Amino acid sequence: MDTFGLLAAGFAAALQWQNLIYAFIGVTLGTAVGVLPGIGPALTVALLLPVTYRLDPAGSLIMFAGIYYGGMYGGSTTSILLNTPGESASIVTALEGNKMARKGRGGPALATAAIGSFVAGLIATLAMAFVAPWLVRIAISFGPADYFALMVLAFVTVSAAFGDSALRGVTALFIGLGLGVIGIDLQTGQARLAFGIPDLLDGIEVTTLAVALFAIGETLVVAAARGGLDDDIVAVKGSIWMTMEDWKRSWPAWLRGTLIGFPIGAMPAGGAEIGTFFSYAAERRLTKHPEEFGHGAIEGVAGPEAANNASAAGTLMPLLTLGLPTTATAAIMLAGFQQFGLQPGPLLFTNNAQLVWALIASLLVANFMLLVLNLPLIGVWVRLLTVPKPWLYAGILLFATLGTLGANGAMSGNLFGLRFSFELMMLLGFGILGYVLRRFGYPIAPVVIGLILGPLSEQQLRRALAISQGDPMVLVHSPLAISLYVIAAAAVLVPLWFRLRGKGQVFSQLAADED
Amino acid sequence: MNKLLLAALVSGAMAVPAFAADYTIMAPAAPGGGWDQTARSIQEALTAEGISGNVQVTNVPGAGGTIGLAQFATQESGNANALIVGGYVMVGAILTNASPVTLDNITPIARLIGESDVIVVPANSELQSMDDLVAKLKADPGSVSWAGGSAGGVDHIIAGLVAKAVGVDPTKVNYIAYSGGGEALAAVLGGQVTVGISGYGEFESQIAAGELRALAMSGENQMDGIPTLSETGVDVTVENWRMIAAAPDITDEQKAAITADIKKMAESATWKSILETKGWVDMYLDGDAFDTQLAADIESTTTVLKDIGLVQ
Amino acid sequence: MTTGSNPQRRPDGAAFVIALILAGIAVVIFWQTSIMRLPAHQARVGPQVFPYAIAGGLLLLAIGTAVSAWRGSFPARPRENYGPALWIVGGLLGQILLVSSLGFSLASGVLVACTAKAFGRGPMWFTFLCGAVFAFIVWFIFARGLQLSLPAGPLERLIP
Repeated sequence: MDTFGLLAAGFAAALQWQNLIYAFIGVTLGTAVGVLPGIGPALTVALLLPVTYRLDPAGSLIMFAGIYYGGMYGGSTTSILLNTPGESASIVTALEGNKMARKGRGGPALATAAIGSFVAGLIATLAMAFVAPWLVRIAISFGPADYFALMVLAFVTVSAAFGDSALRGVTALFIGLGLGVIGIDLQTGQARLAFGIPDLLDGIEVTTLAVALFAIGETLVVAAARGGLDDDIVAVKGSIWMTMEDWKRSWPAWLRGTLIGFPIGAMPAGGAEIGTFFSYAAERRLTKHPEEFGHGAIEGVAGPEAANNASAAGTLMPLLTLGLPTTATAAIMLAGFQQFGLQPGPLLFTNNAQLVWALIASLLVANFMLLVLNLPLIGVWVRLLTVPKPWLYAGILLFATLGTLGANGAMSGNLFGLRFSFELMMLLGFGILGYVLRRFGYPIAPVVIGLILGPLSEQQLRRALAISQGDPMVLVHSPLAISLYVIAAAAVLVPLWFRLRGKGQVFSQLAADED
Repeated sequence: MNKLLLAALVSGAMAVPAFAADYTIMAPAAPGGGWDQTARSIQEALTAEGISGNVQVTNVPGAGGTIGLAQFATQESGNANALIVGGYVMVGAILTNASPVTLDNITPIARLIGESDVIVVPANSELQSMDDLVAKLKADPGSVSWAGGSAGGVDHIIAGLVAKAVGVDPTKVNYIAYSGGGEALAAVLGGQVTVGISGYGEFESQIAAGELRALAMSGENQMDGIPTLSETGVDVTVENWRMIAAAPDITDEQKAAITADIKKMAESATWKSILETKGWVDMYLDGDAFDTQLAADIESTTTVLKDIGLVQ
Repeated sequence: MTTGSNPQRRPDGAAFVIALILAGIAVVIFWQTSIMRLPAHQARVGPQVFPYAIAGGLLLLAIGTAVSAWRGSFPARPRENYGPALWIVGGLLGQILLVSSLGFSLASGVLVACTAKAFGRGPMWFTFLCGAVFAFIVWFIFARGLQLSLPAGPLERLIP
């Protein structure tokens, strides 16, 4: 059978009515758990995976696909409405999405996220079906030096999230980089900056930092500003649907986000969040409405959300064709696949063709189901903003602590004989940090980005140099690395050049030091 | 939202009936990891076989299991219902992290499963056999880059032991640490490194597909016709095993009762079928034989970690 | 604390404190990295290079922040109410310290009561009760339904 025939057979299995119900339950559960602040997709999938074991292989597979996409999507809802992303990949979504929600445009923001996720999921899943083996070949040819070049490019694009002051943006980034050093150094096994505390040996958990800075920090900011005039959130202003203008501005961003997110997700050391950074930076450069960025530009939601979902599908490629889990979520899924009798690896497409194509069809069905479920729900989600603040923020804090405790329940601290969770203490500490940073006009996102990119770039650089036995020329050895450096240089120099030519109002904001 | 939570409640309730806990098993790792899967499989087997009415799993991740180990040893002392999952990785982590709590502070019950590491090269590598690798290693240790899991972990330890066994200074081993065997696999497939060393399960399907060539297994027995290190003339035998242990300060009767329960579970049909689906190798060993094995592993690991320079 | 809102742009005391803190962090990173134990085999870019570079960067940023504070160019900060924020921090601390002994529901009740108090909702016995009941339902769904390990206390142990 050719690819189309196999896919059709897969659909025939996925579209049986009881499988549709399983898909619906999966999507609902995934969204319901994923939407809780502080509970990211990895924990969602880990929690809900056992629920699927009770069904037959096809049923559990399709329910699982629903949980996966539902969990991925659920995270963006709270980050848009409440500025409380539950995972690193939806941090960028919060940047513009929450600004939109504050202006009463939460509906369109959620809609563009939902449709963007659907479009990206559709294209990326289809692409996975047709080009997987071929693209994976290219992806594994990426060496440490190429990854390092990619990280350099990522660092350059971070400036897009800096806000109005480069000084404060870079400071926030360096705080994140400093946090990234904490823990056992992977290459030498030695502890760095752990101060003899065992809990710090594994480093700072990105999820804990992101949830603390955003969810706890945001709660403190809102509480401290009580009675302030500027904090009135408008739940809904105008239509909760996207206007023609919104559509026109969204669809190119969806496609670009998909194009950026998919290959990065497919790389063995890519990761979903890096695709969202690139997408945000690209939208910010290409937009016709630069003045709206930082104040709720719809492209800034559409692009990164599409990139996030496309890379989620991209992640499945190395997972299925190589048995290579590239994210925490993927590692949990690998365990799930083995339970379903799928043995990911190069022989998967020949040995388990039927199940693989059922999975791919399930993903497409789940993706569609997600759209069907979430578009009508937008009206309900937006009303979250009308929940009285005491209950809303109490709920956010409750789920933030629950997610942190659930992921790391160690009661390793001790104060006056009371045992406590060190991880929760860090959550509180970083929450206060988030409040202080906001109070002094520091952007939050670069802190998390620094924590993600710092260790990645360091490890790749040191791997490259160790393999070459110390020869630095290895860094510019491959054409790929060289082209990435050229793009990075262009991203810095071109705006500068424009600015020097006096044409740079568009870009001046990015490079401007103060005010 | 309430409706959604209700849906979660309903399907959750379907999944798990509530009983009083007979055993609590600590998985000193995050949900989804190897030790977590082991703990949850034991949970499944114990309840399905009716050995225990209800079993709860708690996760205490961090620092190669040593955080969970420390918490278990101090808080569960004398509690005959408390169990912890552990393994060879913990032996190394206790040493590299200079953990104050060691395996002496708990009561090891039995080794359950194990996995052998395998040394692989890309299919197009010039290295055809272990002999070629040893020759290259002796000629210039730095020119052989090894991709494996984190520094000081089981993969690194085996690489060090191999170097030492063939008379090469273990500190000269050019070991490139990757976070998890998956990333190491990509590095080997992409030809970024000379050899890869990781659990057999990580490389198994690539070996079967002919993308990787297996040079040797680190364990006692051959797998799929791949020779062991000893058979290739390198005197190293290490298995990455997982075990179950009980709390410190339990009575001998309690220890015997737990051992009996675990033995019954390990011989059950449910456990065998779990091993089958997960691809785990049964390495059940209890009593004095296990204690001897454990002591030997701790001793050889301490020596090699000192040789590599990770432990003083 | 309100110097930033002054159009005269006087030096900003609080921002100087930030500069000092950044410099302090840089010094701690330098110091901790310098006393780090190194493995026998030395790579050209070892485990100390990145920490030193980051510490150096933080030191430069501290200087930049000090200059910026001197010029008073930090954005205006509205006068804030610290009371409610302290209630929330107190509620979180309470939950963190009590959760291992009282269990998830009762400890979270404290958190909810303090948060509600911060936002001006009371009385606290009522909000505590609401919080504890809600947290108990959440605990049941996650701990029993989904097997998430969450600390149990006297209330949770009532359910067999």
